[in-house]
Amino acid sequence: MGDARKYNVIDPATGKVDRSIFVERAIYDEEMAKIFGRAWLMIGHESLVPKPDDYFHTYMGEDPVILTRDGSGRLHALLNMCRHRGNRLVRCDDGNAKRFMCAYHGWTYRNDGALETVPGKSEAYYDALDFAAMSLIEARVDTYAGIVFATWAKDAPSLEAYLGDARWYLDTVFNRRDCGMQALGPTKWLEPANWKTMVDNCSDNYHVPTSHLSSAAVQSRFLGRPRLSHDDQFHSPNKHVFVNGHSLTFRDADDNMPRYMHGVSTETMQLFEEYHRDTQAEVERRLGKLRARQVQLGNHSIFPNGVLGFRLALPRGPLKTEFWHFVLLDNDAPEALKRVIRIGSMANNGAAGMFEQDDVDNWRQVTEASFSHTARGYAQDLSMGVGHAGSHPDYPGVVSERYISENNQRLFYQRWEQFMNAGGWADIPLEPIRARFDGTATMHG
Amino acid sequence: MPTEAVPTTVTLTPQQALWLELMPFYTREAWLLDERKLREWLTLFTDDVLYFMPRRKNVPRREAHRELTAPGDLAILEEDKRYLEMRVARLDSGMAWAEDPPSRTRHMVGNLEAETLANGEVKARTAFLVYRSHLETDHQLLSGYREDVLRRVDGAWRIARRTIVLDANVLLDKNLSVFL
Repeated sequence: MGDARKYNVIDPATGKVDRSIFVERAIYDEEMAKIFGRAWLMIGHESLVPKPDDYFHTYMGEDPVILTRDGSGRLHALLNMCRHRGNRLVRCDDGNAKRFMCAYHGWTYRNDGALETVPGKSEAYYDALDFAAMSLIEARVDTYAGIVFATWAKDAPSLEAYLGDARWYLDTVFNRRDCGMQALGPTKWLEPANWKTMVDNCSDNYHVPTSHLSSAAVQSRFLGRPRLSHDDQFHSPNKHVFVNGHSLTFRDADDNMPRYMHGVSTETMQLFEEYHRDTQAEVERRLGKLRARQVQLGNHSIFPNGVLGFRLALPRGPLKTEFWHFVLLDNDAPEALKRVIRIGSMANNGAAGMFEQDDVDNWRQVTEASFSHTARGYAQDLSMGVGHAGSHPDYPGVVSERYISENNQRLFYQRWEQFMNAGGWADIPLEPIRARFDGTATMHG
Repeated sequence: MPTEAVPTTVTLTPQQALWLELMPFYTREAWLLDERKLREWLTLFTDDVLYFMPRRKNVPRREAHRELTAPGDLAILEEDKRYLEMRVARLDSGMAWAEDPPSRTRHMVGNLEAETLANGEVKARTAFLVYRSHLETDHQLLSGYREDVLRRVDGAWRIARRTIVLDANVLLDKNLSVFL
């Protein structure tokens, strides 16, 4: 397609990124249709709606969506919009309800989306209202290891194909145990930054020893966690990999150590080691030896707006993003360990998290540099490691040679271009699944 | 007209005496926070303090018991003394970017109600409005209440448990890097 493409915003050879994509309202509006209207979006977790008739209020982009589990246990993603005038049916964050009544005129829907009751159906509507045509708008739903995804696109590929070989890595956190995971949260807050900046930051380990030095230093002093330096990062055996828009980083070390997680300290290390030992046979059965012992998913994003696991960057206009922080815990982990991970996760991330609070002014100013006349004339530079990525004998996806690299970020903006220049899913390339999924774990647990 | 004799002493109920003792405690705390004397502020807490900020959900009025997330759920903050000390030490590093340059804050604390518990500790509730101004034009008004359990340690009141409840569902600020 070359120059005929509407969006040509990143030069892969130089890593220069056109700043207009972070602030232009018209581009943002098109993103809502061409990216958020098409992609499989993370919207919730099965554990947030554990019982029949439970619901959880969430978003697909800016569209309010009710995630429901109907009376027969089936999941639905329903646009939270009465088909009459458009009022929201649900105004609560979560709950249990067989029906949703519109507070405007009393139209009432079942939790599978069917319109059930309309006041004045005969007296006012002369029995002329087609109930079947006025169900709530429903998105396609599927789950991966308990995480609920939904898409508006009728022509979207399966969720399994959408995740592709990214799942080979995601399994090492989200699909480890037979017992599955439990989601707690979200903490919600509004960040004055473009959503893409916080997504591309997930593969930016280059910023960690600068942006988060103060947090790493006190945690090393108070909790005995390892020190953090640029040198450690540059010489790390960890890797970056990119699949279908999903940017992943992973630890690649054959030392069979417990996974690095929130809450690790000299005092709690024993808990993590015991848990690692006690679950090792099960994890090897589920994931195979290589993934169980050597590969540990690190920071990552799931296209378009999943940030470090099941956490969401919800767009609220080009300059605003509502951030939702959740923590996921293995259901059958010992309570003492769950507590340590939960508290560690709150201390590090979320609105008040020591690490996360230091990110936002960086992201905001990166976004806002696209406003002033002189600044916007100079493109963002994502040139680090150009030409140093490719296929790997052991690992699926496009693997960067070095851990500190902007390769995933360049590929993220190229994926963005693919969606924005496509007329439909037929124009959006997907890498076929090539990885060997050793072990018993499947898409659904 | 003959003037009536003015009493020279006022008798306080124990409740009023407690109120008069605690209000300056909270006023002092507010000044310590706004003047960024955070190491001194830390001494107001017991070593076993729990500094807790639950999430606040939209739930139907008849399910008000679910509005605040329970202990054990994901909260906004659930800190012990060591984590609070870690946060203060972080600010002293010169590289805690969320607060360097620091926010300008004003803690207005009032509506004090206090009651003595059976074990001699005191439950004290206060409402707050905290104004935060950061960098050039960022500003935010944080409204909420605190419910503290106060304990006398060596003759001085110390906060043994603080629950902070914000009047917000989606926090409107870019981060929560100031203490409440």
